[in-house]
Amino acid sequence: MQENQHIIELKYLTKYYKGSNVPAIDNINLNIDKGEIYGLLGPNGAGKTTTISILCGLFGPTSGNVFIDGMEFQHSAEKIKSIIGVVPQEIALYPSLTARENLTFFGHLYGLKGKHLKSRINECLELFGLEKNANRRIKTFSGGMKRRINLIAGILHKPKIIYLDEPTVGIDVQSRKVILEHLKNINKEGTTIIYTSHYMEEAENFCSKVAIIDKGNILTEGKPKELIDGKGEYTDLESLFLNITGRALRDE
Amino acid sequence: MLRLLSSIYKELLVLIRDRAGLAILFIMPLVLILIMTVIQDATFRTVKEVNISMILVNNDKDSLGEAISKGLYASEFFQIVEEINGENIDEETAKELIARGDYKIGIIIPERATEAIRGNVNALINKSFKSFNIPGVKKRTKKSTIDVTIYIDPATSNSFKNMVMSSLKEFTSQLEIEMFFKNFSEAMAQLMPGQKPIKFESFETIRYKEVYASTTENEILPNSVQHNVPAWTMFAMFFIVLPLAGNIIKERDDGSAFRLKTMPGSFVMIMFSKIFVFLGVAFLQFILMLMVGVYIMPALGLPQLEIGPHKIALGVMALSSGLAATGYGVAIGTIATTHEQAATFGAVSIIIFAALGGIWVPVYVMPHTIRIISQFSPLHWGLNGFYDIFLRGGDLMVVLAEAGKLLTFFVIMLGVAIVYNNYNKTK
Repeated sequence: MQENQHIIELKYLTKYYKGSNVPAIDNINLNIDKGEIYGLLGPNGAGKTTTISILCGLFGPTSGNVFIDGMEFQHSAEKIKSIIGVVPQEIALYPSLTARENLTFFGHLYGLKGKHLKSRINECLELFGLEKNANRRIKTFSGGMKRRINLIAGILHKPKIIYLDEPTVGIDVQSRKVILEHLKNINKEGTTIIYTSHYMEEAENFCSKVAIIDKGNILTEGKPKELIDGKGEYTDLESLFLNITGRALRDE
Repeated sequence: MLRLLSSIYKELLVLIRDRAGLAILFIMPLVLILIMTVIQDATFRTVKEVNISMILVNNDKDSLGEAISKGLYASEFFQIVEEINGENIDEETAKELIARGDYKIGIIIPERATEAIRGNVNALINKSFKSFNIPGVKKRTKKSTIDVTIYIDPATSNSFKNMVMSSLKEFTSQLEIEMFFKNFSEAMAQLMPGQKPIKFESFETIRYKEVYASTTENEILPNSVQHNVPAWTMFAMFFIVLPLAGNIIKERDDGSAFRLKTMPGSFVMIMFSKIFVFLGVAFLQFILMLMVGVYIMPALGLPQLEIGPHKIALGVMALSSGLAATGYGVAIGTIATTHEQAATFGAVSIIIFAALGGIWVPVYVMPHTIRIISQFSPLHWGLNGFYDIFLRGGDLMVVLAEAGKLLTFFVIMLGVAIVYNNYNKTK
């Protein structure tokens, strides 16, 4: 086990999908420190989802190494999975089950049980303003409510690392505000957050550090403010992003 | 263990809350088994019970016409029609009525048919007693042939046609023997004056006794219900593949599978929870279908299903079949990328397995190559096992081989799903 402040280390990470001779990730080296809110930004097809998938252990890289809290998936997959929390872009919940039933199920899979699980569910529901809707089925929820439950399902077990894939897409301003505020609070407690988004303004305000990636390469990396100020000619992250990734339309 | 139990509970909740899906899961197999058994019951009933209408045009008006007519009326297999609206049916009308499909079969006995038989019998007697020059025995040696025409509706089954033909041949042979014996006896009487002609009598020395072979002392009479309930139960149980594969694909489409893969717990654990719940559904379906055979079918005028004494064997077969079906569902759900793929491939492959397995047509009448292929159909193994219990009175030891094949199929299918899932991780 490696002892350092990097909770995530990517070393010479390359990924080719079968049948493709273009790398989805091309020899990336990346270190993410503990307690960081790290934004992975890039246009469609840049390699964000591939990177997150490898970080979640969904599949392995073609070459290179991934260290999560000093561990590798080949040897410690179950341990790594127990310290990460994933919040997918899709509402990955069971619509016919209530919010409490969904959270109880996911909590059990994380090894939580009994009173501890119950109180943790209540705590999270209250935190995200959903305590009154705990026993309603997910299919009756609004988009924002679903997003909040989707988020709770990924943080219920107090993971060391949370992966957020477009957590605020398609929701109202109020829900977005609640989600981001609570994520900031969770981060203050020491949780590292890896975040992908197409909302540049949101990323600029939310992330402590960002990497702009395209075509499987990291184009630039650093604190948003430093990146903007350092180049001089940019007023915000979006103009920087457009400048280095180009204005051409991207397909997946 | 907590993870497995929680996954099972979640699957149960998802299943129970889909009321329409649940109704389809239980009602459709029951409807299927009822309809198929009622329809197929006809093929198991004797022709006597079916009592098919048949046209008889007797232009002979002599011994053969009488013998055939008497034989057909006496057999009670057929409802004989000789006239319509008080008028005798002629050959042209008979042909027309059968061509229209109003009647299945028509027998036209030509004029002088008996005379032809009589002539042939006499020719044989003449040949036999040629050297004795018996007075009274007609000197006729020329053989003649006459056609009894049988008009058949093309939609008539071959077995029914063969049954009619064999009855007609029996009546004709009987008449020929009787005629020969009578003429022979008369010729002998001429040869030996004082010797009285002997009257022909049938000995019936050989009698045919039907015994249904059984591996135990309990003889179960085969009937439509004993044949059809196990066959269609097996077929219906395999359709669990569709909702199970759909469940796996839905979980993948809505992102839940993605979340589950990033959480502690293996793919096998998740699949086992599904198998457990859907196996329960298949087993419940099985019990309901047996209850339909025992309680509902008699109320519809069908024979009652005899479950027999080997309930453990039945349970083992039901569980093995259920596991084979759920294993197949897991494999299809894991490999198929869309609902459409899973539904089409799943349904068609089950129908192929069923056809090969002998659900519609018995395997022993299939061509040699198909008979070999049918040995690899899980529905064939299941059907054989259930027939061992329901028709041959077999016990647990008898069905172990078939149950073993079904369990092996389950293990292979689960293995295919695991290997495919692991392969996907390396793509």
